[in-house]
Amino acid sequence: MTAAAPKKGPAVEPGGFPLNEFIVFSLIGGIVVIGIISAVIAGATPKGILTNLGFYVSVAIIFSVLALGFNLQWGYTGLFNAGIAGFYLIGAYVAAIAITSPAPPIVVGDVVVYPGHLGGFSLPLVVGVLLAMVAAGGAAAVVALPALRLRADYLAIATLALAVTLQIVTRNAQNITGGAIGITSVPPPILFQGTDASFLNAITMVGIGGFVLFALLVILQFMSESPWGRVLRDVREDEEATMALGKNTFSYKLQAFALGGALMGLAGALYAVTLGYLSPESSFAPAVTFSVWVMVIVGGSGNNRGAFVGAFLIYGMEWLSVQVRDQAASGLAANYLLMSVLFIALGVGALLAVLAVQFVGRRVLDRRRAWLLIAAILGAFGAAPAALGALPIGWCFALFVLLFGFAFVVDRAKKSRRARAGIYAAATLYGVGWAFILLQQLAPNAVADSFFYIRLMIIGALLILLIIFRPEGILREKKRVLR
Amino acid sequence: MATSPLLTVNAVEKAFGGIRAVDRCSLDVAPKSITGLIGPNGAGKSTLFNIIAGLYRPDGGEIWFNGTQIDGLPPYDIVGLGLTKTWQIPHELRNLTVLENVVLAAKGNSGEHLLNLFFRPRAVKQDEKQWRLRAREILKLTQLDNLANEHARTLSGGQKKLLELSRALMSDPTLVLLDEPVAGVNPALTGSLMDLIERLRREGRTFFLIEHDMNVVMNRCDRVIVMHQGRKLAEGPPATVKTDPTVIESYLGG
Repeated sequence: MTAAAPKKGPAVEPGGFPLNEFIVFSLIGGIVVIGIISAVIAGATPKGILTNLGFYVSVAIIFSVLALGFNLQWGYTGLFNAGIAGFYLIGAYVAAIAITSPAPPIVVGDVVVYPGHLGGFSLPLVVGVLLAMVAAGGAAAVVALPALRLRADYLAIATLALAVTLQIVTRNAQNITGGAIGITSVPPPILFQGTDASFLNAITMVGIGGFVLFALLVILQFMSESPWGRVLRDVREDEEATMALGKNTFSYKLQAFALGGALMGLAGALYAVTLGYLSPESSFAPAVTFSVWVMVIVGGSGNNRGAFVGAFLIYGMEWLSVQVRDQAASGLAANYLLMSVLFIALGVGALLAVLAVQFVGRRVLDRRRAWLLIAAILGAFGAAPAALGALPIGWCFALFVLLFGFAFVVDRAKKSRRARAGIYAAATLYGVGWAFILLQQLAPNAVADSFFYIRLMIIGALLILLIIFRPEGILREKKRVLR
Repeated sequence: MATSPLLTVNAVEKAFGGIRAVDRCSLDVAPKSITGLIGPNGAGKSTLFNIIAGLYRPDGGEIWFNGTQIDGLPPYDIVGLGLTKTWQIPHELRNLTVLENVVLAAKGNSGEHLLNLFFRPRAVKQDEKQWRLRAREILKLTQLDNLANEHARTLSGGQKKLLELSRALMSDPTLVLLDEPVAGVNPALTGSLMDLIERLRREGRTFFLIEHDMNVVMNRCDRVIVMHQGRKLAEGPPATVKTDPTVIESYLGG
């Protein structure tokens, strides 16, 4: 008999505890909690907080849909799309033109105040969304048709060119797209009146978006587990071999690319109704494409859950940085102490929860993982107030020493890659915290602002660590065991 | 010859830059035979296989398989006609399991069409179930059944060769082109692998194989074709070829 090949590397999570899921969902939970706390301190009303949170969730859902589309193209099929923003733009403008009411040009004297835009067909939302999907999917197919026959790089170049061209065209084709002003007053799904309108609208969008996202996850999961999805993964692994096994790989690539484009169009349509207006500038800049890449890479490509988690995480950091900046802007420095107390309470609470689970209940984690988790929690909750300059420097130093103590123990106990990755991540987090403290001493009001400005650096550092220690993303692609 | 050949290669040419890898090569493969293809390194054997399988487009010449002209057809159409090839360097799909690798090679799995997934879910399920059973049978034949749910990347070199063969069999081919099927496979397994190939031949399949293992070529092949510098140098039963002075000079060595 042939002996089983020896397994290398971490195979299955021992004990079945989904550590990565736990960490990733606590991070997203942490983002939401910190966002709520900072809003409370800023004196927001409950409805205001919920509106704000609703905005986070609905935009994160839009990014999730984009990430799911990109994951279908790249994660499953290996087709690199460098023009996500372009398909997103097509979806948004097609939907907006379809569902808004007519907008004639506004001319005051000789000055064109608003050039107007094409159509204004007042179609129902569902029709607008379907048109957006068809248009973006069709555009994806048209771009892919010549490029897919060439080497992989050409697809990236062609899509990037499409995205950049489209952004310039929308800015300049004034009579069709409204030019730089864009399309205003895209009707929300349900028109609310009165003071609660924005709150009710946010809740509606979360509801609609949540439904769409849930349906998409179910359908995409079904598709990727099917024989069809299997062929896509085969194309990604080795296109030539798949062709030699009798599959028309070109047709599969085209299908995956067009469907992914259609999903991006769907995201565009959701964006148009969530925001209520469109303009070609920042919303469809190449940076959108890069964000979606990061989301899929961080979440774990080839895994629908990973794409959606990555979107909530990365957009969450973006959203949180704005939250923190806005509090600094509204001059809430006096409340830093209250905030830090809340953070410490949360940190201690989380620590106690872990300790309780670990030592009182059944041991779900082995010792190394327990320490790592404790260190990560301390790091996260210690660094956050440190970043805000709230804790006295001595407190931060104590936490710092504690963290490194844990790190040292872990490093001595097990020299595994993952353990060391955890240590370095925690140490990096703390290093950033220290930088903030120093900065806060030098320029008290610059701290919150700098979090906003260096958020991309933080995401970049996260990416580098991830690529070194976990190239497959936080949630790896699952092995499919066929029965 | 009484029966007409299953595969006819007629004056096929292929050049890469200035190198004529295959130079007006002509040969026939008889149905239900095990035909060997030998020759020195760089003689154009693997290139010829790639041309026959449709992976390279020939610069000239014709290829006929089972009454159909196949040169210029895309590889998936050629597989559809019943001609499959395996790779000299295994092209296993690394991040899929062994079983997935094999199931993939099934022809006409209805679940591989997107619309069927949504409009004929029952047929898709039924189909997939049958193909998985078939794949498991094949894995038993090639002795990989205990590795069915391991990632293909964890297999050893010899096991990857067996996986290549399993995938080829899954498409239920009339003619299988085997590019060095036993290179890197241990002697005991080589024996049982060649027994398997002989058994499949008795069931009506044809094998055309490149191999450097002279034991396999001399003892198991009905006919041997020798290629040298892109052309057919000699052809005949193993015993005749073995004593052919030109073959000894260019390939076998004195």
